[in-house]
Amino acid sequence: MRHYEIVVMVHPDQSEQVPAMTERYKSFVEIDGGKVHRLEDWGRRQLAYPIAKLHKAHYVLMNVECTDKALAELENAFKFNDAVIRKMVIRTEAAVTGQSALFKNPEEENKKEYKARGERDAPAADEPVAEEVE
Amino acid sequence: MSRFVRNKRRSCKFSSDFAQPIDYKDLNLLKQYVSENGKLQPARVTGTVSYYQREITNAVKRARFLALMPYTDKHE
Repeated sequence: MRHYEIVVMVHPDQSEQVPAMTERYKSFVEIDGGKVHRLEDWGRRQLAYPIAKLHKAHYVLMNVECTDKALAELENAFKFNDAVIRKMVIRTEAAVTGQSALFKNPEEENKKEYKARGERDAPAADEPVAEEVE
Repeated sequence: MSRFVRNKRRSCKFSSDFAQPIDYKDLNLLKQYVSENGKLQPARVTGTVSYYQREITNAVKRARFLALMPYTDKHE
């Protein structure tokens, strides 16, 4: 059994199907004795560039531990599912369970993120106020 | 001489023991290592150590493939 990180991009018009799809993929993994360590639904995100004339896609992230048979089944399912516009599978060394950076602050919270990390010191006058309100 | 853009160079941020791992999902981090038009910055500009520069390169390329980051600013 190996660890994999899988990101699937789903056609935005098929967003409603995402919960059913993830359940199905989960069952592929678990039937073979694998385990889903992390499952994140990033929702619909703006794409940085159009893919197949689409400007948005629904992202799902999965960190799984599964056999190569289960992975082949997953890859096959992605391939023959028209709703999946793109997918990426990466092998990882260990199980990842913590929240991913993208899930924590989806989209337009870039400025806050910079502040929180203290990496960019651009102290605009109104920003500290905004944070205190929160 | 001091007018030259020299202060842009920083020391490698990842060589510290407390640095977090480089991840393709951490867009705010990766954005600091690409130029305005989306191209990767050379390590000589950012001061990154070569091992971590390779990690950054991989991470940016993964992010680009998933359309989390642009390849260029000329996408329509």
